[in-house]
Amino acid sequence: MLSNPIIHKEFIGLMRSVRFHGMLAAVAFVTIVLVMIRWPSDGLIDRSGDRAREVFAIFAFGLTALVTLLSPVTPATSIVMEKRKGTLALLLNSNLSPVAIYLGKLAGSLVAILFLLLVSTPAVTACYAMGGISFTSHVLPFYLVLTAASLQYATLGLLVSTLTATTDSALRVTFGCVLGLSVLVLAPNYFLQGIEGPLSSLAIQLQALSPMPSIMEIVGTGSIGNQGLVTESGVIIKFLVAAALTSVVLAAATLRRLNWRLLDQSRSQGIITDDQTLGVRTARRLFFLVDPQRRKASIGFFLNPVMVKEFRCRQFGRFHWLMRLIAGCVVVSLGLACVTTMGSEEWGVETIGTIIVILQMALILLFTPGISAGLISSERESGGWDLLRTTPLSTGSILRGKLMSVFWTLLLILCATLPGYWVMIWIKPVLEDQIRQVIVCLVLTSVFTILLSATVSSFFTRTAAATVTTYSILLAMYAGTILIWLGRDAPFGYSIVNTALTVNTLAAALSIIETPGFSEYGLIPANWWFTGVVSGIFLCVLTARTWQLTRPM
Amino acid sequence: MSDADPVLVTENLTKKYGEFTALDNLSITVNRGQILGFIGHNGAGKTTAIRILVGLARPTSGRATITGVDCLRDSRKIKKLVGYMPDRFGSYENMRVREYLDFFGAAFGIHRKQRRTRIDEVLELTSAAWMQDRYVETLSHGMQQRVGIARTLLHDPEVLILDEPANGLDPEARLEMRSLLLKLASLGKTLIVTSHILPELSRICDQVAILHRGQLKAFGSLQEVTRQFHQNRMIEIQLSSAEKIDETVEVLAASGADRESVFPSSTEAIVRFRSDRSEDELGSVLAALVSAGMPVTQFREVASDLEEAFLSVTRSGDAEADAAAEAAEPKKLDGELASTAGSDSSASPNEARD
Repeated sequence: MLSNPIIHKEFIGLMRSVRFHGMLAAVAFVTIVLVMIRWPSDGLIDRSGDRAREVFAIFAFGLTALVTLLSPVTPATSIVMEKRKGTLALLLNSNLSPVAIYLGKLAGSLVAILFLLLVSTPAVTACYAMGGISFTSHVLPFYLVLTAASLQYATLGLLVSTLTATTDSALRVTFGCVLGLSVLVLAPNYFLQGIEGPLSSLAIQLQALSPMPSIMEIVGTGSIGNQGLVTESGVIIKFLVAAALTSVVLAAATLRRLNWRLLDQSRSQGIITDDQTLGVRTARRLFFLVDPQRRKASIGFFLNPVMVKEFRCRQFGRFHWLMRLIAGCVVVSLGLACVTTMGSEEWGVETIGTIIVILQMALILLFTPGISAGLISSERESGGWDLLRTTPLSTGSILRGKLMSVFWTLLLILCATLPGYWVMIWIKPVLEDQIRQVIVCLVLTSVFTILLSATVSSFFTRTAAATVTTYSILLAMYAGTILIWLGRDAPFGYSIVNTALTVNTLAAALSIIETPGFSEYGLIPANWWFTGVVSGIFLCVLTARTWQLTRPM
Repeated sequence: MSDADPVLVTENLTKKYGEFTALDNLSITVNRGQILGFIGHNGAGKTTAIRILVGLARPTSGRATITGVDCLRDSRKIKKLVGYMPDRFGSYENMRVREYLDFFGAAFGIHRKQRRTRIDEVLELTSAAWMQDRYVETLSHGMQQRVGIARTLLHDPEVLILDEPANGLDPEARLEMRSLLLKLASLGKTLIVTSHILPELSRICDQVAILHRGQLKAFGSLQEVTRQFHQNRMIEIQLSSAEKIDETVEVLAASGADRESVFPSSTEAIVRFRSDRSEDELGSVLAALVSAGMPVTQFREVASDLEEAFLSVTRSGDAEADAAAEAAEPKKLDGELASTAGSDSSASPNEARD
């Protein structure tokens, strides 16, 4: 195994990467700071060990967030990068078997994660030194769970890497799947708690795929969204088994794809629907909402050419996919509206509202960086930026076209998700004002996410790096503050949680819709001010940076 | 501006990146309808010069004008006057050739109806009409180069600046590219072309500029440049067989040729040698070969080509640089010795002088 040359290559690559060393230093710094902010300074000994467990809880949540964010990056880009550089063909042509290539890649990714966990040991040692936590029931299970989660994400990343064509799309898909595996699988149980039936038991089993319940069990804060019910026992073992099983399945799926067929895929030369027979044309018209193979009309004089170009050439979110997404959103929204009408007494309008808000926010936060983090970086990466600079288009025109292409997309999606709210207002008219405020939160989230992604994009020449940075910032802002909210009774007090949630538009929307756990926080209008001002700053920075990039260097 | 006025003028164009000088006092003039070939090694300053001309880079000093318009101050006007094809194609994913050209046509503000006609014209001119429904990223390199030229022609610019248009093309595509460039020049366009493929350039260029380490080493017509660097003529002796190739070399040496400037090639049965002798003197060499029984079938002068001129320029440039470095080195060492001696208070004046 150790003689595998890919492991050597990956290891040397890691050791030579300044970015990797920077990442390790950042992880060490963040974990130490997390411990320091709750380190006792009053000189009193807490014999019950509560204080030590508080410190450990903060450290554990912080490190989990960092591992979730950083561990999928290397594997997700690993194979797709080799494929694009042409080195995968060389590897497959060598004496190395696909299994050896796969194990080399996986080991390389795990070594990176191992270093990441190693640099957190000074912080965990400090927690341990305080007393109150045990090595066998706290530290060891915690690191076991993190290692299993990392293995799960690494195998997932490698599978996605064989399925996608570009590094940025690999990262987007992997982060989406990681979010699904770590957070979204918890949602059904949150809403079905206390309800008997197969759906409820399925929701409990589904939770085992996420490391979060295990982490919460270890730090002693109970399961996620626990509404006073008894915590399920054996969650750690269940997660370890589930993680091992999913890793094996994902590895098998990747190995099945890791062969010559991966490189033997021709791209369609582009058959035009207009040249097809009437039958084919009619069938395609029925199947596609907007046929991507149709011959396009010339760009009209009233349209911004950059905006049209973005709609036509976007890798993720091309117009026909956008129309399908909107149609899907309308269907889901109408489905939720139907559920609201029929089950409003059983679930309550607030619960349905919470589901709609979470789904909309997840859609915005996942979809927006995917289409806007490459707005400028992808042009610079492909060499298209220099061509744009040689046209008479002004900086404002280029920027407007790019931003509007994302803005219209999100506006259409948001509009498609609104029917559920209309039904809620029809059932409970007093909610009208609250729903209006929620819509303001959604619009602000969209604007903020677009401007953040575009600003980040203007500082990078690689779309993959811009996408990771954007998702990292959004994850820190949204998941990070939700982690603080999860510790709202202990270790964090009301004011800390309230301040942390001020940056989170999702929390603001949930507090408006009076979701249990969020209703007690007064986040409006402070959240709107924060989001608005920061968005304004981003717009100024983006304009200045784009202007700088269009000038002669 | 009359047709006789130069289209492109650069005056002492200089570009520095910190201490590094990428372009050093470039001064050239190109007339309407001419093709200028920019030649140089990688990093010689060709692309830097081109990027200044198209308004993508700012010169540290100096000035460049195209049809009298300043490249730096009037960058908006320059964009309409110049069609630029960079060495990277700059493709967009999921875009067909016609959509790609339509986008750039719209970006140049060409009206919709006029744009449709113009796209048809440029596709016809570049023989790329058949690929208009293909995705640009699926095209071969040669096809992409055609689309790239079609893109630069869309707004009917007066000057075309093409960075390595023949790079990576197969021989057939290269021939087609050559005839396309000549066709464009015949339409009155002024072309500035960079290339590493010198035989290609020598066939199409009216003027040649050789850049080496940022400096213009030669500029003028092809004949002027080759004459400037070749006082010694290359003579080629074709033998009927390679058997007597060594004896031929001996005869040449006996008749006064420097052995280092004699290049035998047994695979071709050819001996080439450099000489500065007159026609009469060369006649005596031929007579000596024939009388020694060498099977000479041809005895002729080989025309100097651009490749040789380029190599002469770059070698002399390297030699100058090496000499300058060597000259600087002893001075530096002397300086170091002097400063060491000066700083050592225990050293006697005699020791320091030594």
